[in-house]
Amino acid sequence: MGLLAWAMMGLAIWHFTVFLPDRFWGGIVGAFVGALIGSIVVALLISGLHVPGRQDTDLVTVLYAIPGAILGIAAAYFEGIRRENAAA
Amino acid sequence: MPDRRRNAFVLLLVAGLLLASLAVIAAKPTRLGLDLKGGVELVYQAKPTPAQPKVTPDALNRAIDIMRERVDQLGVSEPEIQRSGPDQIAVGLPAVKNAERAQRQVGRVARLFFYDWEANVLGPDLRPNPSDATVTGGQAAGQSGGLSLYDAVKRASKRAAIHDRNNTNNDLYYLFGPAPQHRLLAGPAESEPELVSELPSRRKPPGAEVLKVSTGTVVVKAERPDKAPKGTPDTYYVLNDDPALSGTDIKNPEQNTDNGATGTGAPIVTFQFTKSGRKKWHDVTRTIAQRGLSQQIPGQPAQASFQHFAAVLDQDLITTPFISFTDNPDGIDGRNGSQIEGGFTIRSAQDLAQLLKTGALPLKLELISQSQVSATLGREALHQALLAGGVGLALVVLFLLAFYRLAGVVAVAALAIYAAYFFALIKLIPITMTLPGIAGLVLTIGVAADANIVIFERVKEEIRAGASIQRAISTGYKKGLTAIIDANVVTLMTAFILFILATAGVKGFAFTLGVGTIVSLFTAILATQAILVTMGRTGMLGSAAAMGAGEQRHRFRFDFMGASKWFFSMSGVILLIGALSIGGKGLKFGIDFESGTRITTGLQKPANEKQVRSVLAAAGYGDAEIQRVSNPELGKTVYQISTSTLQPAKVTQVRRLLDRDFGVGQTFSSQSIGPTFGQTVAKSAIIAIIASLLVIAVYVALRFEAKYAVPVLIALMHDILITAGVYSLAGREVTSATVAALLTILGYSLYDGIIVFDRVRENVPRMPRAAFSQIVNRSMSEVLLRSLITGASALVLVISLLVFGGATLRDFAFALMVGIVSGAYSSIFIASPVLTHWKERERVYVQRSERIRAEYGGVVPAYAVATVGGEPTDPDLVAAQAGVAPETRRRRRRRTALAADDPDQVAPDEFQEMVADLGLEDGDGDGKPEPAAPVSRTSSTGGAKPPKKDKPKRPRNRRHGRNR
Repeated sequence: MGLLAWAMMGLAIWHFTVFLPDRFWGGIVGAFVGALIGSIVVALLISGLHVPGRQDTDLVTVLYAIPGAILGIAAAYFEGIRRENAAA
Repeated sequence: MPDRRRNAFVLLLVAGLLLASLAVIAAKPTRLGLDLKGGVELVYQAKPTPAQPKVTPDALNRAIDIMRERVDQLGVSEPEIQRSGPDQIAVGLPAVKNAERAQRQVGRVARLFFYDWEANVLGPDLRPNPSDATVTGGQAAGQSGGLSLYDAVKRASKRAAIHDRNNTNNDLYYLFGPAPQHRLLAGPAESEPELVSELPSRRKPPGAEVLKVSTGTVVVKAERPDKAPKGTPDTYYVLNDDPALSGTDIKNPEQNTDNGATGTGAPIVTFQFTKSGRKKWHDVTRTIAQRGLSQQIPGQPAQASFQHFAAVLDQDLITTPFISFTDNPDGIDGRNGSQIEGGFTIRSAQDLAQLLKTGALPLKLELISQSQVSATLGREALHQALLAGGVGLALVVLFLLAFYRLAGVVAVAALAIYAAYFFALIKLIPITMTLPGIAGLVLTIGVAADANIVIFERVKEEIRAGASIQRAISTGYKKGLTAIIDANVVTLMTAFILFILATAGVKGFAFTLGVGTIVSLFTAILATQAILVTMGRTGMLGSAAAMGAGEQRHRFRFDFMGASKWFFSMSGVILLIGALSIGGKGLKFGIDFESGTRITTGLQKPANEKQVRSVLAAAGYGDAEIQRVSNPELGKTVYQISTSTLQPAKVTQVRRLLDRDFGVGQTFSSQSIGPTFGQTVAKSAIIAIIASLLVIAVYVALRFEAKYAVPVLIALMHDILITAGVYSLAGREVTSATVAALLTILGYSLYDGIIVFDRVRENVPRMPRAAFSQIVNRSMSEVLLRSLITGASALVLVISLLVFGGATLRDFAFALMVGIVSGAYSSIFIASPVLTHWKERERVYVQRSERIRAEYGGVVPAYAVATVGGEPTDPDLVAAQAGVAPETRRRRRRRTALAADDPDQVAPDEFQEMVADLGLEDGDGDGKPEPAAPVSRTSSTGGAKPPKKDKPKRPRNRRHGRNR
């Protein structure tokens, strides 16, 4: 259940990347992958490499996904910029 | 084959099949599932035995054959016994009211073993001690001297494994609760993980103890003394697992009465021995007799030294008769057979005789799910399903007639033909109609109607573009076909995956959906086309209005891509709320996933929750969740009772108690799901969803291009997660039906996506100078109406299921409704924008966008604009799209020179296609040949001009062209 909530949160945050200039590595899909992987990986780390089950998933568990999603999106963004600069 | 002849052939084929279908419908009965006619469904999971160390298909089939024989002996008509998955057997028994007896008879392994009692019963030192009555029970062997289950298992667990061909069991694990009760929490199971998986929490509770009884030792339940007071706990013995005979050594078992000289007149089971059994019997009885004789104490009656022989059926001690060494000093000759006495009633003796007659099952069967539906409830469910289907169909018919006039009549006729074919197939195959199956049937009506809608909209487009009706029908079918096939193939693949992985009930839904999709493809593509073309030829479709293709009053010119960020934000917010809801409220899973027993029953006498609870408390279920529900068909007072998983005997007990106090009549229904079954359902659901996503992605990548597959996957994930969020917010129960509906949504919501992408794919070569966002905007504006109509027609059906269907159909319908809305939305506002964002990074589109921006003062208009002589044909629109002030607009006007998606300007490929088309089209004008069409009446800057070639001069159809 925790995994589902993290993926949902990651995907939710990804939707707002359309307001940023499309300089992501891999474009909007790169941002999607970054958000999804980032949210799950960081949330996993925060929860001690344990996926919370139904009983253990609460509001706080869901929030674990936020920093990861932002980090993932930021990673895709800055990698995109780096590659753009390298190509220029 | 010429078109005319081909149509005639298709019409004849359709008519012939229709007549055959009507004949089948009239002659063959419809097979109704248990949920529609009432009965008992049992699902067993097969486990290996020492004799059958692996669960193989062959062993399962042998087990099914034996079970079928047993069911026949129960006198059940039309039973359904089938394999379900790699290791499960589903048994459907219509019109069986006693689930407990059915379960006892059908799924019992019925492995009968005969033990030399005193030589095998083990004492505290784990050795047999034939002379110690405290171990063997003495004269009351098999009834006294037993231990509590925990003590017996504890004793057995201390014994090392003894591997012998004669062993009847593998290692077995038991899980006991903490002292002092040592209540059995789970088991016996063949492994420790399996043991824990039986627990609802899937975790070993603190203080619980796992005990392992190794092969070579067996714990058997003692006989119940005849005069034991009610409530006396069961006792158990520990035996060395070395039986002297087994069930395969006996033959001709029969129920009889003990009418011998010293007979009691009680029911018994008599049997003969096989040749080898006779010898074994003689040998073992001689051994027992001689041991008794050797232990006889002078001065004591001989009876005190008689030794015993035990018959054990599936680890239950049935009888422990003594062998008299005074009467049979040399053992008992098996020629006359033997008998089993054991405090039988006539029915239980008959049941045992029948079990022995059919033989033991080759595998151990564990009951993992059991449901019982009353006939009343089944009839009511059927009535509701038919009503929902009928209303849905009527609404779709009205919808088609309103939108497509005469062509709508053809579509309705095609739906009627579809319904006749489909119903005939259902009877012919035969498909057992279940509630989920009916949901699938109703949904395929939507699929069939959608195929017609897609074609008709294409035909209307062609008519509006100036094609003759006949030509429009032909071109409409040609162009619409790929989208329909793509969409239906995806639905078919999803149905197939669902059929392979789903549980029995949902399988029916998947099968119906799959067969229905194939039939609908046939009727929509062949039948409707043949009818329409014939009507077009005969002049019955005389005007465009007959096809509902009058003047187009509305044309969507919405900037879909420009607005997409707001729709994205809306989706983001919905998902955010959904995620928080999952964290806060969670998802409510049904017993399919959670395991447990759910009883639904109407009460003839009014009773409040407290009264019902007090009755249940008497049976030990005071902690059950009791909920009063509204179900007029079951009466005024209807309760739903949810508890942990109950065995059939316990369900019967609850029924008896409720009937005694309140009267339940024929309204009682129950469903019990074991933890193993719940896990299987959850596992197969996850596999099915992932497999569907992968298959869909691969198919879309192959049919379109790899980049089209990713947005589709993202949109589908979006649909699944939004549906999960809505379920959490609404607090609705997630059942296996929900998962089936969710998978159907995957296929169904792709319908819209594929229609949009198909048009994008078509428009890409037609708009060689437009930005990708302009191509998508135009494609969406062209297909939006179609998407709305197909979505609405499906929604009409689903809403009729939601309003008129029973509880199960409502479950389906709710998930479908959320999915259809979310699917239509995501294919337009998620998949297409993602595709646009991604494609616009490609060099070719980057260059186009840069050029367009340069021409439009830094913006890309939402729609590519036609220009005539360097002037936009609709400057206000251009300015509005570009968000430019009128003055600026005037200044820029001269720079507006864009080879756009002007309907009158065509790409080279399309031009060639048009030329080819013109060659086929009958001229409508004066027949004078016109010069080959110039590529464009517009100017263009920077775009590749279509090559000028010498074309053969052909008459030009002035009506041909593309509408603005």
